[in-house]
Amino acid sequence: MPGVTRLRAEPISLVAAGAVTPLGADLDAFWSGLVTGSDGISMIERFPVDDLRVGRGGEIKKLRPLPGGRRAGCRATQLLLAAAEDLLARAVVSAEPERVAVVLGTALGGVEQLERALAPGGRPRHAVGALYDSPAHALARRLGARGPVLTVGTACAAGATALGIGADLLRGDAADVVIAGGYDALCRFVMRGFDALRSLTRERVRPFDRRRSGLLLGEAAALVLMTRDGAMSGPKLGRLLGHASASDGSHIAAPDPNGRGLEFAVRAALDEAELTPADVDFVSAHGTGTPLNDRIEAEVLRRALGRRASEIPVNSIKAALGHTMGAAAALEAIMCLLASREGVVPYTLGLEEPDPACDLDHVVGSPRAARPRISLSTSLGFGGCNAALVLEAAES
Amino acid sequence: MSVSVGPQAAGGNAATPTAAIGTTVAAVTVLTGWGHGIGALPADATRAAAGRAVIPLGRPTLEGDRFRRATRECLLGVAAVDALLRENDVSRDAVRGSSTALIYVTGGAYGASNQAFVVAESVRPASVGAGSARPGLTEGGLSEKRAGSVAGPLHFPYTAPSAMAGEVAIEFGLTGPYGILIGGAAATIDALWQATRLLAGGRCERALVLAVETFEECADLYARGRWLVRRPLVEAAACALLVPGALHARYDAPRAPSALETLARARAGETLACAPLIALALARDGGATASIGVTGEWRGRRAGLYWRQ
Repeated sequence: MPGVTRLRAEPISLVAAGAVTPLGADLDAFWSGLVTGSDGISMIERFPVDDLRVGRGGEIKKLRPLPGGRRAGCRATQLLLAAAEDLLARAVVSAEPERVAVVLGTALGGVEQLERALAPGGRPRHAVGALYDSPAHALARRLGARGPVLTVGTACAAGATALGIGADLLRGDAADVVIAGGYDALCRFVMRGFDALRSLTRERVRPFDRRRSGLLLGEAAALVLMTRDGAMSGPKLGRLLGHASASDGSHIAAPDPNGRGLEFAVRAALDEAELTPADVDFVSAHGTGTPLNDRIEAEVLRRALGRRASEIPVNSIKAALGHTMGAAAALEAIMCLLASREGVVPYTLGLEEPDPACDLDHVVGSPRAARPRISLSTSLGFGGCNAALVLEAAES
Repeated sequence: MSVSVGPQAAGGNAATPTAAIGTTVAAVTVLTGWGHGIGALPADATRAAAGRAVIPLGRPTLEGDRFRRATRECLLGVAAVDALLRENDVSRDAVRGSSTALIYVTGGAYGASNQAFVVAESVRPASVGAGSARPGLTEGGLSEKRAGSVAGPLHFPYTAPSAMAGEVAIEFGLTGPYGILIGGAAATIDALWQATRLLAGGRCERALVLAVETFEECADLYARGRWLVRRPLVEAAACALLVPGALHARYDAPRAPSALETLARARAGETLACAPLIALALARDGGATASIGVTGEWRGRRAGLYWRQ
């Protein structure tokens, strides 16, 4: 990046997390499911799929009722509020409401409400709920947050970008606490779209496997509570040291064949963290299981990490959950920090015969005992969106 | 007008490793349903609308086969950036590559593509599959004409807001820092602030903040949310170019609208995410360069950004 001199970014604390995923109703179920190799993929039951090529996905079958019998609105908001309840059970948001920000990534927003709004007799609240940022405002109301409320639309990289923007809000003193993360709900709209693109596999999702044939979608919400480093006492999950995003400028629905945007994002995130590939202990890959994504991502990691690429454990958790779109990168960032805390790296479900074209140190077959200090998480999305996060384990 | 966009033009600030790097709004271009530039804005948008709910902006005619499938929103984004570069004598080569950041903002410009995708399914022949019929969404309530305007299932990638930013990135070869914020005018303030952060942090040499809003295809839907958006809804595409400079930006949450916010709304109408960029254009037109404050409101939240020397 000639001509650009970077500043070291102030590290940001990730204090606690909350999640709801196809593996279970909270963060504990998410983590134990990953470590034990649970499969969150099932036949979709919430809406009709029998006319689609593929009717499976990471559907959350049951959500816990909200305290006080509150109603949550659309599915996306329900997922977000369920993740928020999990987060609030683990941490207290202690800041003036005007200093609490909400930053959420999503690929779909409240789009399922659009189908209801366009149906005969569709109601005005459905039309407003169809806006992408409606779930974020619903979460802000639940949290009593009156600071910035941002919705990030960088497709399936949005969860990572949301964490990066959240960190910038803290560094820029625009907030004292940020609730950041991502979400997306499975709905017919998105299933039909990916089905039409022939991106969904009829087989098992197999990231980086020579037999990989596509992805499956999932739904989830994942939130982290972020503060400036040292602003909050007590145990923390870890720190966000660097973030970068970049566009491919190549294609609307496919990654750049040379992975230029992803490589830029990886290098820039490491640069912002003032780290080198030698410092990286673990990579959480986007790893969708599509032939193109996994090959390009592996090539980028080999280029960006150099000789270290073959020594750094790499995993993908998308076979266990489905591709949870806006939630994916936030879940993967949380997984990185839980791996550090628990001393074990979840393995890549579905990966049995690593593709030589994706030659990396994949975590295959069983979890690997390791306590990564520095993790790199990569994400890609429609529209040529790329993002990378550099995370540091909490001090033990 | 000619604008220099390289680091030298900023007095070498881009290469100075200090957090005190300021910014300058080097150029702003505005396309609205009223015409090209702020000179086309009426004195009073409500009066000029004469009862019309939407003031539409036509589909730009752009050369190149790759625009064949692009949505109107995508084309408007490309047209706004193209106009900004041409009007300010900035070559495409000057912005191409990884040193230019692109931050795209919209409140609802994905609405048309999303609605088209939903409607396309609802009017397809029953023979597609008996299981496709969904309760509550039937052929009867939707117009064939509207459905006929969509390209079919492969239109799906264009339902993502990132498609609009993606088309701009492809057209101008932008491979640098990239952000997409969804919301109204407050989100554009957030985007402008993000751009100043990227510049101050040395993460780019210049930043394009682009906003696009279209309403025509979704006028019925917007009519249901009258408490959220005002009238007239004016389609717009606007772009600002930010470079390192002498002004320092302060991000705030003011309770009241700035004079520029009020002026932009009065003259342009409801342009959602485009409003703060229109306000910036009005400020520059009025000669304000050393001190600019813009605000924007959306869903009860107002954000402000104040540049001072």
